[in-house]
Amino acid sequence: MAIEISKIITDWVPSQSKVIDFGCGNGSLLKDLIDTKNICGYGVEIDHQMIAECIKKGISVIEKDIDEGIQDFESSSFDIAIMASSIQCLKNPNITMRRMLKLSNKCIVTLPNFGYWKCRLALLAGKMPVTASLASTWYETENLHLCTISDFEKLCSDSDFMIDERIFLNSSSKKGLLASIMPNLFASEGVYLLGKE
Amino acid sequence: MKVKTELVHFEKGIELASGSKLSMFDLMVETYGELDEEKSNGILVCHAFSGNHHAAGVSENNDTPGWWDQLIGPSKAIDTDKYFVVCCNNLGGCSGSTGPTSINPQTNESYGKDFPLVSVIDWVNSQKMLAEYLGIDKWKLVAGGSLGGMQALQWAISFPDSLEKSGIFAAAARSSTQNIAMNEVAREAIRRDMNFHDGDYLKYDVKPKGGLKTARMLGHITYLSEKHMDLKFGRKFQDNSSKVDGDVDFEVENYLKYKGEKFSNSFDANSYILMTKAMDGYDTASNFSGNLEKALACIKARLLIIGFETDWLYPPKRGKEIQLAAMNVSVPCSYVTLDGEQGHDSFLFASARYENIIKAFIKS
Repeated sequence: MAIEISKIITDWVPSQSKVIDFGCGNGSLLKDLIDTKNICGYGVEIDHQMIAECIKKGISVIEKDIDEGIQDFESSSFDIAIMASSIQCLKNPNITMRRMLKLSNKCIVTLPNFGYWKCRLALLAGKMPVTASLASTWYETENLHLCTISDFEKLCSDSDFMIDERIFLNSSSKKGLLASIMPNLFASEGVYLLGKE
Repeated sequence: MKVKTELVHFEKGIELASGSKLSMFDLMVETYGELDEEKSNGILVCHAFSGNHHAAGVSENNDTPGWWDQLIGPSKAIDTDKYFVVCCNNLGGCSGSTGPTSINPQTNESYGKDFPLVSVIDWVNSQKMLAEYLGIDKWKLVAGGSLGGMQALQWAISFPDSLEKSGIFAAAARSSTQNIAMNEVAREAIRRDMNFHDGDYLKYDVKPKGGLKTARMLGHITYLSEKHMDLKFGRKFQDNSSKVDGDVDFEVENYLKYKGEKFSNSFDANSYILMTKAMDGYDTASNFSGNLEKALACIKARLLIIGFETDWLYPPKRGKEIQLAAMNVSVPCSYVTLDGEQGHDSFLFASARYENIIKAFIKS
């Protein structure tokens, strides 16, 4: 995960909160949050190598896919649920997001923007885009539900997910002026803090 | 690897959860590796229902490798070059620790069927006394599979400050109805053996070996997976030359009979009943009005729970229940499912991922 995204997320997570990170990778974000914010954190991950790395770091990690995890943890409660760069890989992102907000007070979601100008150019040239935030070819990608920043915000408004904070990043994962003025065209990635209606 | 076997005597005895008391008792203990000066590198491994203190290596009295030899040893997952590994035969067992075949100091006869009911909590309490004897205030890790995993879990609850980590493999917070049912069929096979004499067989100088053999054969089926049995035996017929008896047709029959026979020569029937009763009776939440979360809330150790895909005795979902309850009360806890082809017995066998995860957990 880019340092900038990790920093944004760390800023949004309150000290000593209980956090679940769906698709936690090697656990580095949770490790940062434990070190800097003294959180109680759990990660959900499916990749064997990543799980071993989490355990090595002393991170609590649960081997499950995200959909299974969210369903199984229905009765649990967290202050913050994080889903970084995974929402587009899920079978039913809208249902999953609703469930995430049920088990947590706030959700942090990051997603690649399919409306980013480089994606549009690639499509104009008749090709599926391959960019920094959409790094895989069409036949290798795990993405199922790609969307633009506008699409995502429409889903949030239709589903009564409150957007508390939003930060847009350019292709070098930095907060850029253009990305913040016209995110749907110039943001490569969006980082959202969502709350309940 | 330095292997040491020792019979440790506890003169002051132990109060059991059932209310009974053993006025004194012995634990047969085996250790591997060396305890460091700070006494901070101790790892306790707890055996499953029919296991014993011989967990690894070969000892003076035992030239077959221990039950967890694949995981315990120099440079293995539980590295005896770095850690001092301890395993004891549990109270009520029949491998040297005080159990039904021991002499009751009150009567000067074997306890036999009168040996008091023991529980997972009693085992953990006696293991704590062993830790004190060894001078170990805090285990680096307490780990075990199956009934051993239940002890590792109970350790974290009974003595939260006395262990850093708990490894709970192929285990559950309590036995299921099906587990109890299977065990009762096994016990009934023992009781129906005409040599059982209502548990007093030692007085008649006989052993209910037939019943014990049948019990073990049933047990064995539950420890293996359907797939593993298919791969190992299929529907192959046993060679005439190596049949254990004339009734055998299939290889699987021969295997179960051979294993059952071997077991019935070495295991005590009253111990079998006692150990399975302890397994059936264990319920982590029983002292907390059935609420597992409340039972786990006091835990300070980090937990690693491992389930095995092909285990139908304590399937992965039983481990996941512990993980969920632990997470809900903010106890640090990881959960992993391993492929393990050997069913419930998978926890005994090393695999690259199993070893890697245990190593990472101990190091963390």
